[in-house]
Amino acid sequence: MDIFAFFNTLLWPIKQAIEAILVGFHTLLTALGMDPAAGLTWVLSIVGLVLVVRAALIPIFVRQIKSQRKMLEVAPQLKKIQDKYRGKRDQFSREAMQRETMDLYKKAGTNPFASCLPLLIQMPIFFGLFTVLNEANQGRAGVGLLNQELATQFGKASLFGVAPLHDSIQSAAAQDPVEVVVIIIAVVMVILMTASQFITQLQIMSKNQSPEMKASPMYRQQRILLYLLPLVFAFSGFAFPIGVMFYWLTSNFWTMVQQFIVIRNMPTPGSEAALAREARLAKKRRKSMTEDAEMLEEIVEEPKKAQRQQPVGKNRAKKQGGRR
Amino acid sequence: MRALTFLWLLPRNVCVLILRAYRAVISPLYGDVCRYYPSCSAYALGSIQQHGVIKGVALGSWRLARCHPWARGGVDDVRPRRVPRYRITDFGFVVPASYGKA
Repeated sequence: MDIFAFFNTLLWPIKQAIEAILVGFHTLLTALGMDPAAGLTWVLSIVGLVLVVRAALIPIFVRQIKSQRKMLEVAPQLKKIQDKYRGKRDQFSREAMQRETMDLYKKAGTNPFASCLPLLIQMPIFFGLFTVLNEANQGRAGVGLLNQELATQFGKASLFGVAPLHDSIQSAAAQDPVEVVVIIIAVVMVILMTASQFITQLQIMSKNQSPEMKASPMYRQQRILLYLLPLVFAFSGFAFPIGVMFYWLTSNFWTMVQQFIVIRNMPTPGSEAALAREARLAKKRRKSMTEDAEMLEEIVEEPKKAQRQQPVGKNRAKKQGGRR
Repeated sequence: MRALTFLWLLPRNVCVLILRAYRAVISPLYGDVCRYYPSCSAYALGSIQQHGVIKGVALGSWRLARCHPWARGGVDDVRPRRVPRYRITDFGFVVPASYGKA
């Protein structure tokens, strides 16, 4: 039990922040004329929480994109290292290669790896929301701005008016009679969550990887995970309350859109997406060039030669001809 | 004496086991993301092997804190002990230098 108390202490500031954001959005939405006790108001507050969290994470994301651009500069040196260790599969060569590669990144001031922070940073928020929701369900006030009245409302809030935010597939199935509607909504959410996760990963894997990356053993490993990870999510979805899943789902949608924009406008150099982007730009250029040419033709055709052209010598004519 | 050494090394070997399990099961789930070489978990494993649980966990945590998108990354090895007292098996367990040889 002590370990829970320890985690609770760790989560305390995060719970404070989560409650502040939730209550903030709830107050805002109520001020806009929404029913404070309605489920929708609380659901939208969760969406607000996602927006705030994901917007705060944008700098990390931008940082990653920037270092990907910079990778283009070190590509020749990187290739040199790869050529040096080509075909050497023993552990020591691998290790030496990794060392040299990392050293190169450091010297160039870039790094394709994001560290585990972006992966870990959402975890506390996730568990924070989980506990806030659980406690609200038990009718307990939160640690911060979520007072008794709001906590009771939050605990009773439901999605579409039928699926309480605190219910999970597990708890709905344990009830007598079994809450079929809740289970259906939760299952649909799990499917949507898994699908959005899978699509995002698939987009990155198939379109936004350089050919070198696609040839590496790491890529194959990631391909297996591509199919494995959604399964893990699908199973863990059973225990999570609908409110938490809703947070996750919205967050996934954000990632999907963000990834789509990046793949379209800032693809990894050398990837399929980058080629597609270049083709798109070239097409645009060709189109504008033909348009320009047409416009020029119109302009050129219009003016009538009012002035007689001066006769010029053979040599000068040649020079002018070059200019025309 | 041998039993005492075993007891003394037990905590760090438990940690080695946990870290090995993490590196085998959880770490591959998100692939290579670390900005350093060796990666944070390998660094933590190494420092626990070299310096014991208390100092090792502290060193590992410090490394984890240093590993973020704005860090420069690069090669960052575990500081080895000046006088190596133990041997490390292929799996990673820390054993007395004489273990398995006598």
